[in-house]
Amino acid sequence: FHVDKKDVLVEENHSGSVSLPSLMTPSSAACMSLSMEMPRKRKGSLDNQDTKSSSIPDADMEDDQNREPHSQIEKRRRDKMNNLIDELSAMIPTCNPMSRKLDKLTVLRMAVQHLKSLKGSASSFSEANYKPSFLPNEELKHLVLKAADGFLFVVGCDRGKIVFVSESITKILNYSRAELIGQSLFDYIHPKDMGKVKEQLSASELYPRERLIDAKTGLQVQADLPVGAERLCSGARRSFFCRMKYNKISIKVEEKEFQASTSKKKESQRYCTVHCTGYMRSWPTSHLEVDGDGEPDKQDSSYYSCLVAVGRIHSHSTPQVNGEVRVKPIEFITRFAMDGKFTFVDQRATTILGYLPQELLGTSCYEYFHQDDLPHLADRHRKVLRSKDKIETDCYKFRTKFGSFVTLQSQWFSFVNPWTKEVEYIVSTNTVISQTSRSEVKSELSSNSKTSEDDCNKSLQVILGISTTPGAMIYAGSIGTQIANELLDFNRMNSSSSSGSISPFSLPQDKCPQTHNQISNNVPNGGATDMEIPGKSSSEDEPQGAAFSGGESLMVENSQLDLDSVVGPGLSSLSNDEAAMAVIMSLLETDTNLGEAVDFEEMHWSS
Amino acid sequence: MTANKEKRRVISRDAARRRRQVESEVFVDLSRLLPFQQSVQDHLDKPSVIRLTLSYIRMHTLLKGKTGIKVEASHAVKCGQVMESGQEWRGCDRGRDDEEKKTDNVEASEETNMFLRILEGFLMVLSTEGDMIYLSDNVSKYMGLTQTELMGHNIFEYTHPCDHEEIRNNLRLTAEEVWCGAKRDFIMRIKGALTHRGRSSNLKSATWKVLHCQGRAKVCVAPSSVSCLLLTCQPLPLSHTLLSTHTFTSQHSMDMRFTYCDQRMTLLLGYSTEELLGRSIYDLCHILDTNCLTKNHLNLCFKSQSVSGQYRMLVRGGGYVWVESHSAVIPSVRPSKSRPGAHQPLCILCVTYVLSGVEEPSLQLSLDQAVHRYLR
Repeated sequence: FHVDKKDVLVEENHSGSVSLPSLMTPSSAACMSLSMEMPRKRKGSLDNQDTKSSSIPDADMEDDQNREPHSQIEKRRRDKMNNLIDELSAMIPTCNPMSRKLDKLTVLRMAVQHLKSLKGSASSFSEANYKPSFLPNEELKHLVLKAADGFLFVVGCDRGKIVFVSESITKILNYSRAELIGQSLFDYIHPKDMGKVKEQLSASELYPRERLIDAKTGLQVQADLPVGAERLCSGARRSFFCRMKYNKISIKVEEKEFQASTSKKKESQRYCTVHCTGYMRSWPTSHLEVDGDGEPDKQDSSYYSCLVAVGRIHSHSTPQVNGEVRVKPIEFITRFAMDGKFTFVDQRATTILGYLPQELLGTSCYEYFHQDDLPHLADRHRKVLRSKDKIETDCYKFRTKFGSFVTLQSQWFSFVNPWTKEVEYIVSTNTVISQTSRSEVKSELSSNSKTSEDDCNKSLQVILGISTTPGAMIYAGSIGTQIANELLDFNRMNSSSSSGSISPFSLPQDKCPQTHNQISNNVPNGGATDMEIPGKSSSEDEPQGAAFSGGESLMVENSQLDLDSVVGPGLSSLSNDEAAMAVIMSLLETDTNLGEAVDFEEMHWSS
Repeated sequence: MTANKEKRRVISRDAARRRRQVESEVFVDLSRLLPFQQSVQDHLDKPSVIRLTLSYIRMHTLLKGKTGIKVEASHAVKCGQVMESGQEWRGCDRGRDDEEKKTDNVEASEETNMFLRILEGFLMVLSTEGDMIYLSDNVSKYMGLTQTELMGHNIFEYTHPCDHEEIRNNLRLTAEEVWCGAKRDFIMRIKGALTHRGRSSNLKSATWKVLHCQGRAKVCVAPSSVSCLLLTCQPLPLSHTLLSTHTFTSQHSMDMRFTYCDQRMTLLLGYSTEELLGRSIYDLCHILDTNCLTKNHLNLCFKSQSVSGQYRMLVRGGGYVWVESHSAVIPSVRPSKSRPGAHQPLCILCVTYVLSGVEEPSLQLSLDQAVHRYLR
């Protein structure tokens, strides 16, 4: 049990506080005897250290401290104090107009005066009965609710009656407290979420065991909670999302935030997603004023159980640092596997290309490209697999379902798995440049048919850089496969470069891989046998260097996701192996909050 | 001659002593004015007194200073100028006597305490330079260090160096962002001096604690322009979440390929466990959400915990659902099924909440929905 020592102190001072002895274990009783509120006068603490180092302090640092001459420590202490005094004088209005720098004592005296003047205006600030809080309680409350964008609410478990809701709900859902108190919560929940909310509110008789996660193993466990009619899993935690109605006459700004969760259908009611977290609580009905309609059936049970929870609007649908992919109306997005086969097609494609997504899925994009565009698109395909930049294609023609062509221009980038650094797929943002008219189509089609098979084959051969026996058909789709295989072979041969050595077969990015291609076709395992990679079958153990030659750093500044801005520049200078170790070490050092005990303290509620 | 020197020395020593005494007295005066219990005041060292005084003045400026028009308007609404039938806004001090004020005070305090306790987090007010101007007093529960020890210090002294860049980015506020109360949502690692059983230890044995910080910008204009971030900071517990029918758990290798998922996944999304093993989560999601997933993955790789935003998971057979995942990196329990023989020390545990019903059920967007198994 973790007893919150702070609360123990506070609640003892409150009038009408709850008795806590029942929760106290012998160890916490011992804690009680110490005065816990005091900050320890920190020896070797940060006030006395000048260091801005934020690595975990360890014994070594202290040893260094002691070896320093005392005068150095003193000087640092003085400097720190002088800085503080300077900051203080900047904050005090009476100090500011002074042209010359004031001495320490004067600044301090003026600070005393200033504080006295500030405190004079605050009325109920320094009540003797209460533990003084740093901020006036009202102010703190507003700050908390503003920061959290949330509201407190208490609903009865049986019917979902809203017993209490904080005023902040007006700013969030745009309903007044009066409108809500006494109403049923279910009137404000999206119809499809009612079942979910009912389940969350329900007593444990229907769900005799709770599904929890065991922090150590990550597996689900059944927790046996004492099921008694009175207690009703008091203290059990609830966490769920549900869609709540909000009053339509809301500020325009907020509508943008609800974008992700608004129903696509044109409903008269608008909903926003609220994350509710809280605890089940039961109180003897004698303690509560259950206001509103007297419920005759309620009087039988001696306990009234409620959910006491906080609701927060969830409006983060885009990460802070990188904006969402901006999509304009004449754009659609597709996803290819490395070999150019469609694996995802945005529904907008249908109006532009005529195909339903499922008609395209699994087929190679090369089957739709106009023949004249194949060379440059193949070239871009190769480029994008080897680069972290966004690659622009030229305008090209894409065959629609009706046989006509649309002119598109696309931006491709290869999406790389952050852990393995391998390419997962290629994302293509496609913009329509123009739609070819029907009349042009006919001449196109006839000109296409004139091209002989041989010509077609020849141009494809040039693209692929291979020579095949004459007469063998090469399908457009095989272009993509071939390009993908090039990369896989390239990677396989170069994976040893993760330790820094450069493979004799590694090529600079933009060089035409035709010669390389021949090698890879003739010798399946890629080049000389001494390039055999020992035991590196799994890419999970550590992030591998992808298609880059050994000298390049692990994290190249890339346009699709600016890693430096997200996670800091720390790892750029490390080699792959070092980076992997650094990540694993840092993860093992972190306390992932999984071992925290649940706080089952009773909460006092005064209605 | 030496006698004179001696005398002068004694005089100067006494003078110095007197100066120090006077200074100490002023420090005591100052500490008495700080809103803490006397026992706390007595034990503050001199730099702490100044640090806390600075915090007090800065918070006062922030809260009482003249604010902008938008904020004033809402403040007017708050102060009961727009009265709702029968409900008075309790925040307004006008025309209330001391007793009422006291009750309001207590109620406000209780409400805040309850709010923070349920939220399982603490409040942090950060200046644009990263000074932790204010921390709610329950910070000791999460960091093991008390409010008085921490307030006024700079956040960069307490957070992981690799997270500094991200924190700096979040502290940067444009004028527009400030006026609109721009939102912030990020994850950072902070020093936690708590033992496993929740007792305070000291900084020397501190570990990194992962905090999810959410909040918005706040500004006040006069007397001097002060803008800051109001943040609630929460650790991200996974251990005691009650799972409902609309959540499922899954485990992944570090590259986000599935190594396990529970049966609810099948009920909610239609994929069987076997189908998913070895499959990357990136294949399963809507393409527009790639950024969201990547950010989540990176947070996991570097900070070990993450809360994704809302993203879309494709449902087998067509359509998608909006979901949100809370994930953490944990020591691996089971060997990776997708790559037998390769055992890694870590894996990712995700708790995913399904937020919506199936949208556009007839729409097949991805190959995975159409084909039984997509073989790479």
